[in-house]
Amino acid sequence: MFEEASEVFDNMFKSSFPLTFIVFIPAVLILVSPLPAEAAHEFTVYRMQQYDLQGQPYGTRNAILNTEARTVEAEVLSRRCVIMRLVDFSYERYQKALRQSAGAVVIILPKNMSTMPQDIVQQFMELEPEMLATETIVPVYFALEDDELLSIYTQTLTSSSSQGSSSAAEVLIHTATANGFQMVTSGAQSKAVSDWAITSLEGRLAGTGGEDLPTIVLVAHYDSFGVAPWLSYGADSNGSGVSMLLELARLFSRLYTYKRTHAGYNLLFFVSGGGKFNYQGTKRWLEDNLDHTDSSLLQDNVAFVLCLDTLGNGDSLHLHVSKPPKEGTAQYALLKELETVASNQYPEVKFSMVHKKINLADDTLAWEHERFGIRRLPAFTLSHLNSHREVQRSSIMDVRPHVDLRKLSRNTKLIAESLARVIYNLTEKGAPGDLQIFTEQMMQEEQLSSVVDWLTAQPRAAQLVDKDSSVVSTLEYHLGRYLKDVRRHYVKADKRDPEFVFYDQLKQTMNAYRVKPAIFDLLLAFCIAAYLGVIYLSIQHFVVLYSVVRRITTPKTKQH
Amino acid sequence: MEMSQIERRSANPPATLGNHVQTILVYRCVSLYPYYRSEYNAFWRCVQAGATYLFVQLCKMLFLATFFPTWEGGAGVYDFVGEFMKATVDLADLLGLHLVMSRNAGKGEYKIMVAAMGWATAELVMSRCIPLWVGARGIEFDWKYIQMSFDSNISLVHYIVMAAVVWMFTRYDLPKSFRLPVTVLLGLCVYKAFLMELFVHVFLLGSWTALLVKAVLTGSISLCSLFLFVTLVHSN
Repeated sequence: MFEEASEVFDNMFKSSFPLTFIVFIPAVLILVSPLPAEAAHEFTVYRMQQYDLQGQPYGTRNAILNTEARTVEAEVLSRRCVIMRLVDFSYERYQKALRQSAGAVVIILPKNMSTMPQDIVQQFMELEPEMLATETIVPVYFALEDDELLSIYTQTLTSSSSQGSSSAAEVLIHTATANGFQMVTSGAQSKAVSDWAITSLEGRLAGTGGEDLPTIVLVAHYDSFGVAPWLSYGADSNGSGVSMLLELARLFSRLYTYKRTHAGYNLLFFVSGGGKFNYQGTKRWLEDNLDHTDSSLLQDNVAFVLCLDTLGNGDSLHLHVSKPPKEGTAQYALLKELETVASNQYPEVKFSMVHKKINLADDTLAWEHERFGIRRLPAFTLSHLNSHREVQRSSIMDVRPHVDLRKLSRNTKLIAESLARVIYNLTEKGAPGDLQIFTEQMMQEEQLSSVVDWLTAQPRAAQLVDKDSSVVSTLEYHLGRYLKDVRRHYVKADKRDPEFVFYDQLKQTMNAYRVKPAIFDLLLAFCIAAYLGVIYLSIQHFVVLYSVVRRITTPKTKQH
Repeated sequence: MEMSQIERRSANPPATLGNHVQTILVYRCVSLYPYYRSEYNAFWRCVQAGATYLFVQLCKMLFLATFFPTWEGGAGVYDFVGEFMKATVDLADLLGLHLVMSRNAGKGEYKIMVAAMGWATAELVMSRCIPLWVGARGIEFDWKYIQMSFDSNISLVHYIVMAAVVWMFTRYDLPKSFRLPVTVLLGLCVYKAFLMELFVHVFLLGSWTALLVKAVLTGSISLCSLFLFVTLVHSN
């Protein structure tokens, strides 16, 4: 009976050649042509910073990845993608991965940063500038944790840590049955972004009472910084500064609408971009206003420039100056008013002045007021941080919970009161120290809260905010509600000697494919060959079964 | 000559894929007929069986689409009656196999083998090639492709059994006592897919367990039919 079956195949081979070819073409094509396959898991990864500042490169240089995954415990790390969780992250492990020339490092961050214990957060914040300071060829990625990623991590952990510790048979069985993961990123190699424009916004409130009025400038930079641009939300630094600036704009525009309270000072508000990259926005704005235009508020009588930087928390306020203010100047007046208001109305606030000379030999300037100081404008920065080197200023851990709304609102009130006392010259007129200019109804905490919430809802790294970004247009709209002459100001890097260069490919999609080791393929092929062999033998000897069945059935019929 | 006449007569139904395939095959057979007359081999017959498979599947799909609209119901509830009715449509498979076998002249085993091999190959190409092509070539490894291959082996055995049972059913010299077992086996063959779904749904079987159950079921049906076949063939 099965001779006919073999006859079919014989004829297939003997008869027209094209037919047999048709049968074998699919097999050949299967082996030859490539195909994009579905991934075991696809997730978004955010790359570490990559930028050049004043010719100096920082951060990671590479963006492409196609390597196997391992965890730090594995012995061989070279050309592998090292996966680490934030809880297990430490600088030594990171250095170990880099020293062994790993293919990439992926750090898994928990979805909700606030669930992390404080010491781990603090440790990571301190490590961020160190990670950025060394220029690495190895791409470093950050991914937010979800269940699938966690299972990938635990599987990789078990397979990595069992290497080199068990017997040969165990290793053989393990390599044959374990699941490896191949991490592949989509996207091209990173390249420099050309013609990136950093946007800054300015607006003013004109004073009353003649020409040549003194000008007070209020500045805050709106961009944020962290080890990964897409993850830097910059809540305290400098979301708090921007929201405070908007609130001050609102308060003083209300005062300036009435003739009785219209003061004799021009108020210039400046929301600068590129602040974390050595205050590029401010630098170019100053150049344009002082060097390239004939008349500008900045050229004439500037009383002082107050920069707001990181004011959303803490119980201390530091006024950073590059030169202690001389008596009789408006600067000195503000200093005194701040002291008065703080001591009389907010005794829990510790106010102090911090004097730091501008050091031009440093790579980057410390505070924003130093840009104005270089151009000989009297300026200071107000911050609750003691030093510009504090790691909180440039960390991805700086998220919304870092801003204490009550403290931000208290600081806003303090500054508003002090400014009002300077503008209206209240101390000279004999107003007592505890006189409150702004009543409770004027201070709108909900507005402050909603501005901070909106600012921290998206990453505002300078590489991500271009001139069409919603952040810029919303800020422009907001300023336009209270101020006049709201204008945009663009900064583009110089072509020949760029002060800053940004790179792209900051957010990529990574695919984790479940792969089996090569031994497994051999094992499987062997098993399939054995199975086919068994089938072949059973078909060849089917006659045996046939005769057995026949013998069983024939006695029955013979008995009839 | 007789063969090609029968084929031309059966190429009646409205323009369908099966019709096209069959007409193409008919055309080729007719044009190549003078050269293959003495060597009209089993391979072409298998291909014809495959073509009949395509045609029958198409008719079944048209029938299902017309008379069984999509059932609006809860996600977890299994529509037993609906699925049962749908499985009944698989009786067309039996008719198709009978058609193939009646066209082939030759011994019983030869007809069965040709019909079953052609049918199973067509089913393999139509329902398993695309998933294998798309999925098995990627970097990822998944056990489901191994399972799919096992499944195709089992279905080959199943179609051989089904063809054998159909052949036995249509024999004029089938003893009266055999009518009932053969009918029961025929019913089991047709509703095997339905039974498998039922098992998986009720007992919540894993994929490997389901495969095992399928293999056991097919094995038992094939043993029973083998017994009946041997008895029938060697009782005369």
